Amino acid sequence: MEFFIRNRNIVAFVAFTLFCIVSLSIQSSTFVLTFEGVGSAFLSPFQKAYDGIQGGTGRLWAGFTELNDLRDELGKTRAKLQQYESIAEELDEIRYENERLRKLLDLGTRVTYDSIPASIIAKNPDNWFRTIIINRGENDGVKINMPVVAFQGEEKAVVGKIVEVRGSISRILPIISSDIRVGVKLIDDRSPGLLSGTSSNTGMCVIDYISRAIQVKPGEAIITSGQGGVFPPGLSIGTVIRTEVLESSAYQKVIVKPVIDFDHLEDVFIIKKEPDKELLQIFEATE
Amino acid sequence: MIIPYIFTAVLIILSLLIQGHSSFDVISIAGVKPDLLFILVVYLAYSFGSFYGEVTGFISGLLHDAISNSPLGLLAFPKMAVGFVAGMFGRSIIKSNIISITLILFIASLVKGIMTLILAYIFHHTSIAVVLHIILPEAFYNALIAPALFILFDKVYEKELEREGF
Repeated sequence: MEFFIRNRNIVAFVAFTLFCIVSLSIQSSTFVLTFEGVGSAFLSPFQKAYDGIQGGTGRLWAGFTELNDLRDELGKTRAKLQQYESIAEELDEIRYENERLRKLLDLGTRVTYDSIPASIIAKNPDNWFRTIIINRGENDGVKINMPVVAFQGEEKAVVGKIVEVRGSISRILPIISSDIRVGVKLIDDRSPGLLSGTSSNTGMCVIDYISRAIQVKPGEAIITSGQGGVFPPGLSIGTVIRTEVLESSAYQKVIVKPVIDFDHLEDVFIIKKEPDKELLQIFEATE
Repeated sequence: MIIPYIFTAVLIILSLLIQGHSSFDVISIAGVKPDLLFILVVYLAYSFGSFYGEVTGFISGLLHDAISNSPLGLLAFPKMAVGFVAGMFGRSIIKSNIISITLILFIASLVKGIMTLILAYIFHHTSIAVVLHIILPEAFYNALIAPALFILFDKVYEKELEREGF
């Protein structure tokens, strides 16, 4: 006993090192997941409280300083609203025509989903792993593997998917994380591929399994393919920056800049679409 | 005697909340933010020795892992190990001034970054490009803000430092 007290520095160092190595080696065990869950649950009330204080102070300050800006914004918003009302009428007409044509071609009607608005309360607590925590959870009907989107200007694009749900908060794995896999396709060529974040954490994404024979143009849009069972097809992801071809591979890597500016993202929408479990199982098994 | 432990617990939680909040992104440069928690661990190790440094590094690292979606132990181990080593070069060996603090934090951040890279390479996935995109910028950023934070922490732990004879 005296030995342990006298050498407590070394004893603690060895014990902590062993714990970390064992924990890293058995990442899939329920023990590690429970331990991590306890830590996450312990901090979540503090995160919500801090966000409340930060948000309240920000709003109070904004009340004093941003009144003139708000007046200008209101004028601009009213003008935009009028413009959108005319677009909405046009859209109804197009939607009706689209449904009629789909029926004629026997394609079936396109499914629409409800969404849950949410605010970001915490983001990337370190520089290595990308993660976003939002103020909606199980109590609001959020479930694991629901897709999350946001608006960048007027464009709706994919943010990521829900990977952890608690009572009133959830965790999003964003598309710029190297841990995510999203089935995507090139909008012009329709070639499918598998998108994930770059492992160097540059805020870009990379698509694998695009054949070298395909000419990919910089600026070409990337959309979800619907394969994988999580994301509905046709959601915007980003645009092609460049391609990288390895002599030894039959495929090329396509580097994609996401539509969403993750550094300034504040609000998101969770699409209430439950994953297609069979498709998801096949997708995860082939990863 | 329990007061310094309460201060430490409060500072750990506060650092995690501040660097995890979306408003902290305002000070990020090229997507990289300083690691306040790590600066705190180095400060505690430098001021109160290896044992305090490694225990704080381990506990705060586990909490950091829990909220970061990282494999449990991947952020904890480098913080614990650097806390252990930084404690060996405490205040009695290296005098506290702006240059020494900046240098300590720069070297400590580089060591932490390289350890994280090796662990991520073995147990997760990463690429060597993170040296340029994360490790170096974070080391510069930590070193830049550390002197100001050390002054702040000196105020918080004023009585404990006096008791230790600093």
